[in-house]
Amino acid sequence: MPVTYIQAINQAMQEEMARDENVMLLGEDVGILGGAFKASEGLLEQFGSERVLDTPISETLIVGAGVGLAIQGMRPILEMQFIDFITCGFDQIVNMAATLRYRHGGQTSCPIVIRGPCGAGVHGGLYHSQNPEAWFFHVPGLKVVAPATAFDAKGLLKAAIRDDDPVIYLEHKFLYRRIKEDIPEGNHVVPIGKAALRKKGGDITVITYGSPVHAVMKAARDMASEVDIEVIDLRTLLPYDWETIRKSVTKTGKVLIIHEARLTGGIGGEIAARIAGDLFEYLDGPVMRLASKDTHNAFAGPMEEYIIPNQEKVTEAIRQLAAY
Amino acid sequence: MRVDVVMPQLGESVIEGVVIKWLVKVGDTVARDQSLLEISTDKVDAEIPSPAAGRIEEILAKEGETVPIQEILCRIETEEVADAPPPPPEKWDEEEEGFPGAMARKTGPPIPPAPRAEPAKEPAKPVPPPPAKEGVKVRISPVVAKMSAEYGLDVSRIPGTGIEGRVTKKDVEEYIARGGKEAAAAPAPKAKPAPPPSTPRAKPAPPPGAKVTPEGDQVIPFTPIRKTIAEHMVMSKRTSPHVHTFAEVDMHRVVAFRDEKKKEGISLTYLPFVIWAAIEAIREFPVLNAQVVGESTVIKKAIHIGVAVDTERGLIVPVIRNADEKSLLGLAKALDDIAARAAAKKVLPDELVGGTFSVTNPGRMGNLFGTPIINQPQVGILRMGQVVKRPVVIEAGGEDAIVIRPMMYLCLGYDHRIVDGVAGNSFLFRVREILEAGEFHL
Repeated sequence: MPVTYIQAINQAMQEEMARDENVMLLGEDVGILGGAFKASEGLLEQFGSERVLDTPISETLIVGAGVGLAIQGMRPILEMQFIDFITCGFDQIVNMAATLRYRHGGQTSCPIVIRGPCGAGVHGGLYHSQNPEAWFFHVPGLKVVAPATAFDAKGLLKAAIRDDDPVIYLEHKFLYRRIKEDIPEGNHVVPIGKAALRKKGGDITVITYGSPVHAVMKAARDMASEVDIEVIDLRTLLPYDWETIRKSVTKTGKVLIIHEARLTGGIGGEIAARIAGDLFEYLDGPVMRLASKDTHNAFAGPMEEYIIPNQEKVTEAIRQLAAY
Repeated sequence: MRVDVVMPQLGESVIEGVVIKWLVKVGDTVARDQSLLEISTDKVDAEIPSPAAGRIEEILAKEGETVPIQEILCRIETEEVADAPPPPPEKWDEEEEGFPGAMARKTGPPIPPAPRAEPAKEPAKPVPPPPAKEGVKVRISPVVAKMSAEYGLDVSRIPGTGIEGRVTKKDVEEYIARGGKEAAAAPAPKAKPAPPPSTPRAKPAPPPGAKVTPEGDQVIPFTPIRKTIAEHMVMSKRTSPHVHTFAEVDMHRVVAFRDEKKKEGISLTYLPFVIWAAIEAIREFPVLNAQVVGESTVIKKAIHIGVAVDTERGLIVPVIRNADEKSLLGLAKALDDIAARAAAKKVLPDELVGGTFSVTNPGRMGNLFGTPIINQPQVGILRMGQVVKRPVVIEAGGEDAIVIRPMMYLCLGYDHRIVDGVAGNSFLFRVREILEAGEFHL
């Protein structure tokens, strides 16, 4: 039966909580309401209020409590109602969760998952459209994943829950109900750190993740007669799959990195720099990036389209690089 | 008010102009932009328009006269009254008015630029673009730079299909696939290619010290193939530190085998024997069948042997592909085929690329030995000397004896970047051993 992206998230949590009694869920309205987007629907009923906790409106508390629970042997999933508010828990994440293993010389770990809806394209305005991956990309000790398909949404969340280190799990709210796929039931785990080669191609490499994966795939289909695109969906941003990038860029010599997060200080800059440094002699064109403009997201539809890397901009960037 | 019309500077390097013809005379009333005179400069001929409406008061330059730029050609009296000269800017009082720039500065109106005759906006004849600089710079990507170095290509000769005629990786790949020939019909460029330089490139200056050709000397411009050879030879010497090492090979078993086969009606030259022996030795010393890529040695799996063949147009080096899969007879047949087709100019461009090791012989006019230049990007080349009967000392039955043997000097040229002396010497020794052992079969 086809499953939406958000149902896949719900399934992953439900299956993991059933599999391991140490897995629990904390967040604002995750219990009685079943989550603002209904990601945790039915979990309170199935697992009870000791494992599905409605918390006060304090992300600092949610993450801090999660770190404490993890130290005590639990594997909490911590929901941010909107990922934009993850910054309220920033200190707990980067100074507490991410350092725990290091502070104890590797003798302990912090198996938490912080998940929440990210991304634009839904007229969310400034506080409900953000893509915060770059904040965390800089922090050793964290893992950051960003699924683009229902299959990966489920498999990566399972992998994140089973991982012994803190994982930031970014679910794109634009995809919640727009994506519907048949996915395997039960034990299906997508390994953290492995990109997906969504399409093989010889002319240019497009590296992307999250929502833009779909725009890139559409462009690859629409422009098939014009340019043969290789599409890499990173899936995991930290640690990202360099081997897959290396192989592809070595082959095509041209690379375009697309993300919805802002351009300056974005993940694309780091990947571009590594390509330029390690693969210089294979490059046949400038390493190009397409990302949101360096501004806060707008509420108004046309303004939002102006800011984010939409279909039109994706197509144009691909065409430009292909012609170079 | 009086307006001066001056000789304009039509082009950066122009310093003067010649007055060709006056179109007005003193006393004429002229409109603004009306043509006043025709001038001619090194670069362009043009009509000079009037900078203002008025009456021609004075003509200072005669027809045929050469006038430096900015010199007055004529004067026009206009009806406008000249503005009073702008008052000198008031002295700035920092104490009273603050730091300059902090607020709008009190000054008079901007000083109007002195009227100058401007060059006609659309001169009768277009200004020719500046002559193309010598050696047009081609911007190339890192991968193209790497590939062209690897294959010894001149990027400026590769047709580019990228933006503004950029040579892309694909262009290089296609160029190599064509065997380094400019495509008869280049693929339609995806983007608008750069316009070709409208003026031919300036002839390169003769190298310093080159003398003007004395009478009777014959100047033969390079043919494309000669140019390629010349560039490749220089490039190879620059790329690889060549080391040459020699072996003296007793060929009597080769000669015996040849004679035996001749009786059976099979004609063999010495060359296939040497190739065959080289392949055997390469199997033991694969570093001779290699290539330098960046800071890596790439040991080639396939063994493709390049063989130098003389043609009317110059030396070419066709390649026997997968030569290691061929028998002695197979090699001999491949060589016959190449020789025949080379003579008939029927060697395909594809056959000239991809060699991994080369063997060359002195041709019909034999000689003692020579030091070959490596055919890039290979790292080794064997050069046969003439097979000559010579008295040599051998040991037979515990005694030294002088016998007459067909001897050949064999020279191995190798790239000392990756082939050490030990490997080079061992390889050559092995080739000699194989040739002297005489364990041949067709």
